[in-house]
Amino acid sequence: MDPMIRQEVGHELEPAIDIRDLGIRYDLRLTKRTTLKGSVAGMLRRDPGRENHFWALRHLSFKLAQSESLAVIGPNGAGKSTLLLALAGILEPTEGEILTHGRVSTLLTLGAGFEQELTGRDNIDLAGAFLGVPQEQMNELAPSIVEFADIGQFIDAPVKTYSTGMRARLGFSIATAITPDILLLDEVLGTGDQTFRARSQARVRELVDRAKAIVLVTHDLTFVSEFCNRAILLEKGQIIQEGEPGAIVDLYRERVAQRRLLAEEDAQRFAAVPAVGAGPAPR
Amino acid sequence: MTAQTSEAIASSRPSVRRRGAIALIRAGVGEIVGRRRLTRYLVGAELKRTHADTAFGQIWWILDPILQMTVYFILFAVFLKTGVPDFPLFLFVAILPWKWFSATFSEATLSVTGRQSLIRQVQFPKIVLPTSAVIAGTISFGFGLIALGFVYLFYLDRLSLWVLCLPLIAAVQLVFTLAMGILFSALNAFFRDIQNVMSHALRLWFYLSGALVPLSAIAVSHPPLYAVLSLNPFAVLINAYRAVTYYETAPNWLGLGLVLLFSFGLLAAAVYVFKRAEPAFARIL
Repeated sequence: MDPMIRQEVGHELEPAIDIRDLGIRYDLRLTKRTTLKGSVAGMLRRDPGRENHFWALRHLSFKLAQSESLAVIGPNGAGKSTLLLALAGILEPTEGEILTHGRVSTLLTLGAGFEQELTGRDNIDLAGAFLGVPQEQMNELAPSIVEFADIGQFIDAPVKTYSTGMRARLGFSIATAITPDILLLDEVLGTGDQTFRARSQARVRELVDRAKAIVLVTHDLTFVSEFCNRAILLEKGQIIQEGEPGAIVDLYRERVAQRRLLAEEDAQRFAAVPAVGAGPAPR
Repeated sequence: MTAQTSEAIASSRPSVRRRGAIALIRAGVGEIVGRRRLTRYLVGAELKRTHADTAFGQIWWILDPILQMTVYFILFAVFLKTGVPDFPLFLFVAILPWKWFSATFSEATLSVTGRQSLIRQVQFPKIVLPTSAVIAGTISFGFGLIALGFVYLFYLDRLSLWVLCLPLIAAVQLVFTLAMGILFSALNAFFRDIQNVMSHALRLWFYLSGALVPLSAIAVSHPPLYAVLSLNPFAVLINAYRAVTYYETAPNWLGLGLVLLFSFGLLAAAVYVFKRAEPAFARIL
């Protein structure tokens, strides 16, 4: 028996997602210098006052009930994608814990992990194995995946012969074929050409309808009120506000405008004192 | 059977740091066994990838060691005049397992770093990556054995029943290779220098394993050096391969047993190191 078979943990009253005091820390020493020389140099230059890690998320707690859909909005670097990766289990919490109930799926998997020498059909099986979907279920899903990807005879040709568009279509088709209980979306609503985009949006909507809970991370504020019934504003790894999508979007717009105003003031002040330096000193 | 490795039901995910060494090793072995289907697909892809673009395909696994043997034969037998009888066979039974080890070890070392985009997008047990590289290399080695049969056609008088011990020696080498592959695939994620140094380190290791000249040649002239080189697991393996295919004798069972014991210890350590490093892959790659 394939041990990856998902057992339905059917506690309807349990929240779909329960995040408790979540913290995710990146170690800058590891991310910045991946050669031995860099590490040795880093050790020699160890400067006690300097931060060599940074918290992408810190002290984050929220619950998402079944049938709720949550939008996470915030400026670049707020930790939105990190949150999504943590929910998907790709990043492990440094602090706190994440409890999820049901199959979690990201639509991030657009063609990552395709084996160039394998045919499209073999890659469908490979993707299923990576995602831990049982073979029988993959066999059932395969015809609809092939049909939706719409790449004709190429399905039996090696993926290296595909165009970028074909590859993206097949990736999207695989990623959306498996219906998750908790759907994580990272602005993947526009893939490929115009006709495929329309079809792919319809397919995402279908998944949204079927999923028990949704987390959407986006810059496109129009989707927020349409897809979601709750929203969180994230800034610098912390929740600023949580509530109705409309109110949160307004708050976000307000803060963006405020920040722009501050930035403009700064720029003017900077322009008034020109001889300080060419720019901020590199850290 | 419970769905232990599932990321889906992933209720509380206990941090790796909070789990003991034994638990981590068991988890790693469980993942290798539990994700057999993924490993099988990856092995198939690897086999297709390695020689798909060449006209001879898998035949290269037969031709390559023969060509390599020819090069060393010309160098050593014709120019340097080593007096080893039946030198081509003597060389070949060392080159073939070495090629298996070096090619597999290199592939496995790069297996994690080579899939960074996937690691950042999908949650799966990363330990299947070096494992499938090692299995694919082992299957290719099987093809290489056809070449050994071919070379044997010229030295049929050296053929004995001891040849049947070959799979046993290969099994010891497999454990050793798997341990090295898993360990270095994790280390290479942190230190990319490893992949640059590797080809040179492997070449030196090859010479120090007595592949070209018997190590016993220096036993009298440099006893301490000989003692040190004899500790090299690959020297033990090559001696064993040579014993059963070339000298028509039993291999050094004690030596092989020690290498097997060492390899299992190394494998446990490698799985532990890999599992400890695994959560960091998505952050640093």
